[in-house]
Amino acid sequence: MSQAAAEKHTVMVVGGGVTGLGIALALDGLGIETLILEKGPSLGGKVKDYDKIFPDFVSGRDIVNELIARVERVPRISCRTGTVMAGLKETDTGYAVSTNDHQRLEVGAIVLASGFEVFDARLQEEYGYGIYPNVINGPELESYLDPHGPTGGRLLRPFDGKPARRVAIIFCVGSRSKRLGNPYCSRICCSYSTKQAIEIMERDPGAGVTCFYMDIRTYGRGFEEMYQYAQNLGVKYIRGRVSECSVLPEGDIQVRAENTLLGKPVQGVFDLVSLSVGMMPCADAACLADLLGIERGKDGFFSGVDQYRAPHDTRREGIFLAGSVTGLKPIHDCLNEALSVAGRVAAYLNNHAG
Amino acid sequence: MAASGIDYGWRLQGKTVRLCADRSLMADESAHQMEKALRQMSMEYYVLDRCMQCGICSSACPQGLLHDDAPFSPRNFIQRARLGLLNLSEDELWKCTHCGHCQMMCPYEIPFLEVMISLRNLVVEQGAGHVPVSIRSALASIASGGNPWKADAAQRVAWLQGLDIPPVACEPARKVHLFLGCLAGYDPRARRTAQTAMRLLHLAGVPFEVLADEEVCCGDSVRRVGDLATFARLKQTNKRIMLSKGVHTIYTLSPHCYESIQTLYGWEENQAVRVMPFLKLLFQWMVDGVFALTDAPRGRVTYHDPCFFSKHQGLVDEPRQILKGLPGLEYVEMEHHGRKSLCCGGGGGGFWRDVAKGRRLAEVRLDEALATGADYVATSCPYCLAMLEDASKGDERYAKLEILDIGELVWKGVRP
Repeated sequence: MSQAAAEKHTVMVVGGGVTGLGIALALDGLGIETLILEKGPSLGGKVKDYDKIFPDFVSGRDIVNELIARVERVPRISCRTGTVMAGLKETDTGYAVSTNDHQRLEVGAIVLASGFEVFDARLQEEYGYGIYPNVINGPELESYLDPHGPTGGRLLRPFDGKPARRVAIIFCVGSRSKRLGNPYCSRICCSYSTKQAIEIMERDPGAGVTCFYMDIRTYGRGFEEMYQYAQNLGVKYIRGRVSECSVLPEGDIQVRAENTLLGKPVQGVFDLVSLSVGMMPCADAACLADLLGIERGKDGFFSGVDQYRAPHDTRREGIFLAGSVTGLKPIHDCLNEALSVAGRVAAYLNNHAG
Repeated sequence: MAASGIDYGWRLQGKTVRLCADRSLMADESAHQMEKALRQMSMEYYVLDRCMQCGICSSACPQGLLHDDAPFSPRNFIQRARLGLLNLSEDELWKCTHCGHCQMMCPYEIPFLEVMISLRNLVVEQGAGHVPVSIRSALASIASGGNPWKADAAQRVAWLQGLDIPPVACEPARKVHLFLGCLAGYDPRARRTAQTAMRLLHLAGVPFEVLADEEVCCGDSVRRVGDLATFARLKQTNKRIMLSKGVHTIYTLSPHCYESIQTLYGWEENQAVRVMPFLKLLFQWMVDGVFALTDAPRGRVTYHDPCFFSKHQGLVDEPRQILKGLPGLEYVEMEHHGRKSLCCGGGGGGFWRDVAKGRRLAEVRLDEALATGADYVATSCPYCLAMLEDASKGDERYAKLEILDIGELVWKGVRP
């Protein structure tokens, strides 16, 4: 059986999203050659679909496009899209990787930057996602607010295409719930939803946006100020977890909750209800953990050996973690991790050279 | 040595545990005492620490739909419990009907009903507060006579004597026992339901016996109002009788009896006793086409889910299929149905409480039934049937609704 010679790379980055692109560019800056393995058809990950990101309302799409343009110009970076790892073997110089398209790769180190998945809101049945057309999830609201999106940036009711002016955003859908298997806080939903509420109010000052929350966790620099600004614009925050959405004859959605600060039941009728879905480990996390022989925490996200002293290291030498594989973080933090993991990988290669 | 001022507390291990007079003071020493005492006395208390006060329970609680300025709120109850600010003498402790919607929705899976049972137990068995008179009297009657109405045990079966339902003998070692429950034993309306169930059993050729003069209350409501000692005795009595008579299968007419006997009686592996709700039997008959059906009755029917079937057991499809299988009826659904159904107010001791007209959960339910334009409201629990019927009596608006057991509706359509 004859086999083509294995293709050699210094570092392989798994995942071509914002983190993976950042890693490749940072390694290039250190003079290190990289291959990006992306399972989707194109680079850019989830961020390429975000027209505005928090807290400063810059374009996520622009950031990613710029990263992609730089990656394409750099000779030390190569990319394979539509490709996933199928097998892994340890070698004297690192790892031998086989792919789904029967390629053999020899790499000196691997960085896992395969990102996250959003929670499937159908699992929280009481909100009727997937059944009531006017109940949508956070990423869908994002696309409705995007000038390049399906509605050209107009906020319309999926039920009848009429403008949506009364909007409810339900926080913590699929987060902070032991019942649904995700007891953790997804960290970014409070902020991305508040950003969306601001966009709606800025475009249509006569609109009404009501956010049903449990705790507002706008923890990062500039996040709390954004939350204050949303309230200045008239976004209403009601503390209470919604127990039920029901549909009315015209497609309107009736929402029931308790205003826990007043101790009173509240009911509201809305054109559109957006579920601020939390995040989960990427769909193939279990598979990847098996294949790479690395550990995940109870929450399903990957765990490094020591989150203080060696945050990127896994228990297998030469395999590193970066970005939201170790838990959700804002784009800004993901790009920071790209820089720090590049430094770690460079040090590793330096110590293992020859 | 009498303590001065109002004493809100009770005696615990020789010391008086007191609440602060001003309940707004959360840091008061006596509130800490109260909280500590509750922790000592109730293991269930510790699960309350998980609560994050999101309020989904209060929003799901059917009492929020009553026209009440301060409806019962599980969230608020938990918060005050954690701060030692509960007053176990207030009526509030008895409002919960154990429908279970709150704990079904709770993101942190707090077993609120078990907490309730534990706190009520402190009141009922350890005197930590007042027990409402009607509940106290029901408990006393069950403890002494096995039923909540101070009725003679023989009455439980006396009404069966004159019936024209000839017995079908069971094999001695494979006895089938139809567990009547207290309502069917003593309440005329529930007796009619039970009678219909027996006619259906008979028509389907299923042998069964009734041990009614020896059976006692199943104990579900007794446990849920916190009288755990009496529940343990009732359980023992029923188990002893059933086992001594060689009972193999128990059919229950009430979902409360079902849950209690099936999940709380603790049958051993070698006591191969099978417990089955009559509803499931009826469903099987309909699937197998055991009865010839006419197109009587005619009209619209809706189904009221008993909480102990829907939320507690997930038994929601079978009754709907039964009703959809009746040729003369159009099936319609109420706004809240299946696992999200609304409580009639009868569970968890609610059946023994006096609730003023205009503040009953059953009225909220009847309004939903009315909105569907239904002629019949079918249900499968004697508590639900009684609560809904009671609420509809003397109210013109509900005159159009006929409330009956699902078995009675099937019986109306069975060709003799």
